[in-house]
Amino acid sequence: MTRRWIGLAVLCSAAACHRPQPGDPLRGLSAAERAQFDSGRAVFDSTFTPQVGLGPLFNASGCGECHEDPVTGANGDEVERHAAVFHPERAGAMCDELADKGGPVFQDSVTPALRAALAIDHEPLPPTVTTVAARTTPDVFGFGLLDAVPDSVILSYADPDDRNHDGISGRPNRFFDGRLGRFGRKALVPTLREFNDGAFQVEIGITNPSVPVEGTVTGNPLPDGTDPAPEPEIGARGLELADAFVRLLAPPAPLKQSGEARRGRDVFARVGCAGCHVPTLRTGDNPIPALRHKEVAAYTDLLLHDMGTDLADICLGLATPSEFRTEPLMGMRLATHFLHDGRAKTPEQAIELHAGEGARARDLFKALPAPDQAALLAFLKTL
Amino acid sequence: MPRAILTSVVLFFAPFALVAQQSPLVVPHDSVRGAIRAVDVRAHTLEVTTGVGFALRVVRLQVPATVPITDRKAGQGAPLKLAELKPGDVIRVAFGGRPTGFVAYTIERVGRMDVGVESRP
Repeated sequence: MTRRWIGLAVLCSAAACHRPQPGDPLRGLSAAERAQFDSGRAVFDSTFTPQVGLGPLFNASGCGECHEDPVTGANGDEVERHAAVFHPERAGAMCDELADKGGPVFQDSVTPALRAALAIDHEPLPPTVTTVAARTTPDVFGFGLLDAVPDSVILSYADPDDRNHDGISGRPNRFFDGRLGRFGRKALVPTLREFNDGAFQVEIGITNPSVPVEGTVTGNPLPDGTDPAPEPEIGARGLELADAFVRLLAPPAPLKQSGEARRGRDVFARVGCAGCHVPTLRTGDNPIPALRHKEVAAYTDLLLHDMGTDLADICLGLATPSEFRTEPLMGMRLATHFLHDGRAKTPEQAIELHAGEGARARDLFKALPAPDQAALLAFLKTL
Repeated sequence: MPRAILTSVVLFFAPFALVAQQSPLVVPHDSVRGAIRAVDVRAHTLEVTTGVGFALRVVRLQVPATVPITDRKAGQGAPLKLAELKPGDVIRVAFGGRPTGFVAYTIERVGRMDVGVESRP
């Protein structure tokens, strides 16, 4: 009898201690949701060929080709080209996101058929482009939770005129229909579903029920015979499953914190990092219980902040070239490069490259005694 | 008697004839909500930016002089002129395809992109 109780206690404690590992689903999924997650992972890991719709322009042959390191859904070493035209003098229309060319993403690969027809090996940039940006592959851990945060929560952190005089003035980006944006390095895209559906077409060249038309070659129609697969190249079911996988992917649980890391968490708040990298956001009502009314340790406010001229690249929506969305830090310990273009190789370098609204926190970090700097970095390595 | 039959036949078919005549003008084929990218008052055209995620597109529309343009904020059906629409305005357009391109049926200005239009609760 005693042995049985001990066994039960061990089992309960093991279950309680089990924290989501990178690539795990959220806890508390129903059997049906778990099945969707597993089937969605298969779609996410699929490799597309030209015969089933890949391209003719593409960055990757499947989601998992980029979001792969160390597990499906994580970061990748691919770097994309994004471009835009910035007209600071045009009030109300300062940014040309090159929508007439298919948008700001310019693909780096073409199918053999398109290469044969146009003698190109990537999508040419239009001559009007003022800036080209490099974009690394982010992880997508916990994106379902970010999607479930109500707009009102995000907007509650906005302080566009810096009325509290803390030097931080986050402001929201907006999509073209006026909705609040939150996904992408410049927070242009309002919902995870749109982010995923658009990515199938933009990144893989896979048309789908949401984006049923193939992209252009810098605004010019595809030559005949270069896109043999009938549209849409993935159906509603496949799209829903891929979305379910990303939506239900858990953020990796933070590692157990040492005393130094716990002290680093306090330093993180004290020097002002938490002014933008807000430690937790709370989700709202949601049809999926695992996403409903949850605290998510996202370390972001999902708002735009001016990061200074050295980091500036393209405009996007309302975001000026120097404005970026606060990058979520959940799963940061798995990253091997940092910032939107991967120019920082360590968290310390990333901090040192913060400017604009991040300058004050950066300077306070640099002025810290070495043990406090080490503590803050130790804390970041637990996320 | 023949006159009564003729009248009945005319009355029976008249509504169908009317609908057949009007439907290409009043039945929207599609609608879009997006931000105005450009307005050309002389050419009676406008361009709307829209899309899904990063898959963006521009919808170019002809705007005949008879197209009703309204402003949601200014009250129910408050009329606007094409020249009053500006880049960055968020509009909802019902439109249809013609051999000459897309033609707007109705345009409603719902707000400004920089201010925002609707939030999720």
